[in-house]
Amino acid sequence: MIAKKTTIKAPEGLHARPAGELVKLAKSFPGTKTLISNGAREVSAASVLSILSLALKKGTEVEVKAEGPDEESAVNALAGFLDSLEG
Amino acid sequence: MEGRFATGKAWILDRGSGSGRGSGRTLEEAFDLESERLKAFIEDSPVPEVFSAHLEMLEDQLLRDTILRNVSGGMVPVDAVIAAEDEIMGLFLGIDDEYLRSRVDDVRDVCQGLIDCLEGASPNSYESLPPDAVVVAEELFPSDTAMMDLDKVKAFVTAKGSPTSHVRVIARSRGIPAVTGADISGIRSGDLLLVDEANGTVEVNPTEERLEAVRSMNRGVSVFPEEARRAVLDSGVKVLGNAGSIKEIEAVIGAGAEGIGLFRTEFLFLGSDNLPSEEEQYQIYKKAVEACQGRPLTIRTMDIGGDKTVPCLNLPKEDNPFLGMRGIRLSLSMPELFKEQIRAILRASALGKVRIMLPMVSRVSEVIQAKALVKECEASLEASGTAFGKNIEIGVMIETPAAAFVADLLACETDFFSVGTNDLTQYVMAADRGNASVSYLLDPLDDAMIQALRIVFKAAREKGVPAGVCGEAASEPKVAPVLCEMGADSLSLGSPALIGELKGSD
Repeated sequence: MIAKKTTIKAPEGLHARPAGELVKLAKSFPGTKTLISNGAREVSAASVLSILSLALKKGTEVEVKAEGPDEESAVNALAGFLDSLEG
Repeated sequence: MEGRFATGKAWILDRGSGSGRGSGRTLEEAFDLESERLKAFIEDSPVPEVFSAHLEMLEDQLLRDTILRNVSGGMVPVDAVIAAEDEIMGLFLGIDDEYLRSRVDDVRDVCQGLIDCLEGASPNSYESLPPDAVVVAEELFPSDTAMMDLDKVKAFVTAKGSPTSHVRVIARSRGIPAVTGADISGIRSGDLLLVDEANGTVEVNPTEERLEAVRSMNRGVSVFPEEARRAVLDSGVKVLGNAGSIKEIEAVIGAGAEGIGLFRTEFLFLGSDNLPSEEEQYQIYKKAVEACQGRPLTIRTMDIGGDKTVPCLNLPKEDNPFLGMRGIRLSLSMPELFKEQIRAILRASALGKVRIMLPMVSRVSEVIQAKALVKECEASLEASGTAFGKNIEIGVMIETPAAAFVADLLACETDFFSVGTNDLTQYVMAADRGNASVSYLLDPLDDAMIQALRIVFKAAREKGVPAGVCGEAASEPKVAPVLCEMGADSLSLGSPALIGELKGSD
């Protein structure tokens, strides 16, 4: 299990489209379980509905975790994607 | 389309509640069928992204896992879907974000689709839509409107739904009136319905007299066509309000204005036998600040002269009042009177964001003189220990050709511009606003006006000074998008209805 923290920077928070892209990214590591947490709740990073239900706003600190064969590259890819969202 | 009201025959959407009446499909088959249906919508729909989002949700792990868990807990498939829908909606309802909360509609649409597939409800029922239909439903989802022939739909009436819900978005983009949150219990199929979006009412089988009265009332109501509305909104322009009284401030702020771009103060001077004191003015400006509820208030200093005469000032009669002692010219000629107004405005600026706007400016020296008077007033307030807002913004109306020509110089001395299109057009075109025989020249987009506006917006852009528009032209669907494109940063409008329309609220 590997984890990495980052902060949501997009002014509108994490909306449907970037959430969908995040899910695609998470699904590109089959066999690796990916999770995302806002501190209060932890959900699967492979579900748009789950991610949207976290209501990630600008400034929210999130933690992404991965467990499985590609855990290191999965965590880096997901955290890197969230970092790249500037709005 | 006739705008925001319509008449037509009630056509009631029946989803065939038929609980227990199954299609014999398994959950897996229902998922496959709904997926095919959505893929077909993505091909055909003018809003494919809506259905792409739905397909994503249908394929979502959370939805599927929740339904499957419910089934293995002993529920029949339809109940399993309903329970999963409730559970997922519960996750969204507490969210303090309108956009995300409206995703709930997507979840429910997808679940309704699954239920339709499980129950064998026929989506072909929309083929029975008559021309002139008023579609009446408990609730309408994107997949519903996608299946309708919208050319046949005169209006939408739903029991549920909010101004941000899908049906309103579709309705607005097609210019179809819609009323949400209506009581539909008394409506029967085939009833004649009068749908009034502006008032949010639905009348069942109105009389011919009533119909005629509504038709004549709605004649001449200007409606911003969707294309113009989009162009204005997409430009990111601020929508402000014009007001000439506290009541009007309340009306435009209530309609959603982001501030007051023009508060006329002439009403304090016209019609009274005595000039208002500083204290009387302060009380009014204080109320105006409060009515703005934290949004910026732009107070225009007295624009007396021209067609606005003040009996108690005993001003000499002029042959050409529009070319005479008007606005800042008059104010600077009576500095004591002007300073009372400035002090009252400065005191009010301690209570909220207030800006001073000077009317009828034609040279830079007028601004410099006015700013010197403001400084003087600030010093006297400071000396007497009276509270006032520091560094008040001072801007000018651009309404004379001279001001347009020296816009770059004015920009160095001011914090903002506001283009008064009515007077600017009259002066640029040398055509009296009150003379009908030359009214054909009063086109805010006449070639000469375009040149003048270009000079103004270019100077504003280069000097980093925001330039708005507060004249009638800002309310014209043909003109407003052009002004936005040229670089207007705000449009200040007088009509609460129009502000509501542009801000997308009711």
